[in-house]
Amino acid sequence: MPELLRAEGISKRYGGVHALKNASLALHAGEAHALVGENGAGKSTLAKILAGAVRADAGSILIDGKPASIRNPVDAQRLGIGIIYQELDLFPHLTIGENIVVGNLNFPEGAWVDFRKVDAFCRPFLDRVGLRRDSRQMVAELPIGQAQLVALARALSMRARVILMDEPTSSLAEDAAERLFQTIRELKQSGVSIVYVSHKMDEIFRVCDRATVLRDGETVDTLELPKTTPGALVRMMVSGLDVGQVGNLRGGWQPPRGPIANRPAGFQPAPLLSVTNLTTRKLRGVSFDLRAGQVLGIAGLVGAGRSELGAALFGLDRVHAGAIRLRGIPVRLRSPAAAIRHGIGLVPEDRKRQGLMMDMSVLENGAMASRSVERERRALEPLFRQLSLHCPSYSAPVGWLSGGNQQKTLLARWLLVNPDILFMDDPARGIDVGAKQDIYRIVAELAAAGKGVLLASSELPELLRCCHRILVLADGRVAATYTAAEATPERIMAAATGAHTC
Amino acid sequence: MLKLRESQNLMALAGIVLLAILISPVASDGSRIFLQVGNLTDILRQISLIGIVSLGMTLVILTGGIDLSVGSTLALSSSLMAMGLTRAWPGSGYAAHMLYAIAAATLAGGLAGAVNGAAIAGLEIQPFIVTLATMIGIRGLAKWLTNNANIDIGFGRDVAAQFAAAFRQKSLVIGSYAALAAVFWLLLSRTVFGRHVRAIGDNETAARYAGLPIRRVKIVVYALSGLLAGFAGVLYAAGNQQGNPNAGVAYELDAIAAVVIGGTRLSGGKGSIAGTIVGTLIMGVLTNMLRLGNVDSNVEMMVKAVIIVLAVAVQRQRRMD
Repeated sequence: MPELLRAEGISKRYGGVHALKNASLALHAGEAHALVGENGAGKSTLAKILAGAVRADAGSILIDGKPASIRNPVDAQRLGIGIIYQELDLFPHLTIGENIVVGNLNFPEGAWVDFRKVDAFCRPFLDRVGLRRDSRQMVAELPIGQAQLVALARALSMRARVILMDEPTSSLAEDAAERLFQTIRELKQSGVSIVYVSHKMDEIFRVCDRATVLRDGETVDTLELPKTTPGALVRMMVSGLDVGQVGNLRGGWQPPRGPIANRPAGFQPAPLLSVTNLTTRKLRGVSFDLRAGQVLGIAGLVGAGRSELGAALFGLDRVHAGAIRLRGIPVRLRSPAAAIRHGIGLVPEDRKRQGLMMDMSVLENGAMASRSVERERRALEPLFRQLSLHCPSYSAPVGWLSGGNQQKTLLARWLLVNPDILFMDDPARGIDVGAKQDIYRIVAELAAAGKGVLLASSELPELLRCCHRILVLADGRVAATYTAAEATPERIMAAATGAHTC
Repeated sequence: MLKLRESQNLMALAGIVLLAILISPVASDGSRIFLQVGNLTDILRQISLIGIVSLGMTLVILTGGIDLSVGSTLALSSSLMAMGLTRAWPGSGYAAHMLYAIAAATLAGGLAGAVNGAAIAGLEIQPFIVTLATMIGIRGLAKWLTNNANIDIGFGRDVAAQFAAAFRQKSLVIGSYAALAAVFWLLLSRTVFGRHVRAIGDNETAARYAGLPIRRVKIVVYALSGLLAGFAGVLYAAGNQQGNPNAGVAYELDAIAAVVIGGTRLSGGKGSIAGTIVGTLIMGVLTNMLRLGNVDSNVEMMVKAVIIVLAVAVQRQRRMD
């Protein structure tokens, strides 16, 4: 098969973090090519670069062997590259037809809208994706799965030769997914290439011909799918992840012994936190126990429900069904204030948006969940020192600080409140190695002090080093639970991607 | 095809009209004053100026913006109109003189709007701040040009009097509003430009990914808003027989209220000209009803406040269903 597209040496940095390092991808005409890797391996970034939504720092792209420059989405459209984003980039209050033709170079329009012409243009593409709807209906009125079909029809109508699909089945019902697979087969026959970004191993093996594995922003290898297995692919995604690197904690840390470990077998106090059959807009029947002195890891892919578990425990998401018990006593957590009263804290995933007031001082941010700034000042300063928080002045805006020191400020806020249970959502994301060590040290100290820590993370080595037990979520359910001794990167990834069931 | 949202707005309007008929005072011949043709056309004339301004405001709000400068622009335009009639183009014929003055006053409004749009799209400053600044600056310009004095027109037999007599007729004022409403309804719902306006407010990221000319659309939208405020200033000068640098205070707020009551989302993307027209009518009928009932004008403001909150609360309720 002739080569349609080749991307070489693609690099992209966000701040100090390498999203892509010298990544490459070669695409044959008429193939479906899976792009796989762990969370944060760079799959979506690579897709966005090819679609012109993000500009690469370095690298070259060849189409039909000729150098191509993709500076913006219009360039990509001209070169025949279409994309279906995971976070649907549609206009909810325009009609289906308008969503397909807006900015579409294949549909030249004068000044006036002719809805019959729009409908005639869209009809074949809507039929092809199996969306039986009036093209004058508003997209806001469609269920999310059908909205995704509109995005697919839009990509088809641009006569794209390459269609990038970022988790295309994440919101599709089974029959709609089947039709998508059929459409992909037809597209392949007509010479269109598909780049299929997905975590779902069963789909990848059904639909795709080859797979390129990304790890830490680098291309590991490209495999012929019929000649490999889901297990081998998962191993390639996670192997070489340096488990030891995270573990070099100052002084090292061991699972706490002492009073808890020494209790005679058979003596089981009620767990600190007991969750049964917890169901929210995202979670489906999640159950687990958290004991005092324990660090429970929460693993899972993006969208599996890790952050939503924190939201449910912190009174942010409404609980539809199930029970939350604290030391055996059922509680209803209707708001974050109620959660804090019950001794639950949350270090959120996005410290800039959900955590800190960036223009306010380090001190004010640290005291934010407490009553008074002045009274807490004396209590905060030792905490800041304990966390090795470095800043020119505690009165400086927290926005001036590095990511690591921002995260420590957020952590100090909760150490001051001193909750019994702390949910930490990806606390080491995007911060430097030294700050990571400090945060892992605090996790260990909290557990040693008899607190219960829930540590959600997208980094497997982090979970493997810090946790006594690891809960793997997939699609809002508990896919597996491993003790520290049982857990391996391969097992966790297999459970998270559903590879162990196929 | 009437959408649900608009049909519900129409029902609110029908309810208020019905209430107005019921509580209307009765004339000596037994007819209800509210329903007299003279009163109904009075309502339409009274809402025309705010109506015209709120057409442009609808486009601005649909892009996710706001235009606070329209009241000041109206004052500038009414002042320029009176100055143009009394102090410029001395040698030209009546018709040409009127035309020049109208064009100058209206285009000045359009220019002011284009400046708003350029600052918002080019410098990427928040629309609230840009138009707050021009609201102040344009008011100052109008006062400075006129030495802070009204310029009377329409007393005598000159071109200014003829203009005022012609452009304060009910039929012309209402006709202008109706024609502009039709044009802007078509512009928003039947042109590619109108689609881009709605798309930008609906999802600006997607608009950028789709390669839409975001800056150009924004500049044109604010220029149109200024142009309409400018034309409203022309009608104001005729109706009040003066150019007034202090005219149009708080008009921007009445226009925003009409747009919001009409169901347009303040964050953009969702809304329509038809909704704004209904919103304008609701406010107009309400004012008329209260005035016919001799309700204190301060109470009138309190009733309007309740109506605005109620209208938006009902829309929000519907969205959550």
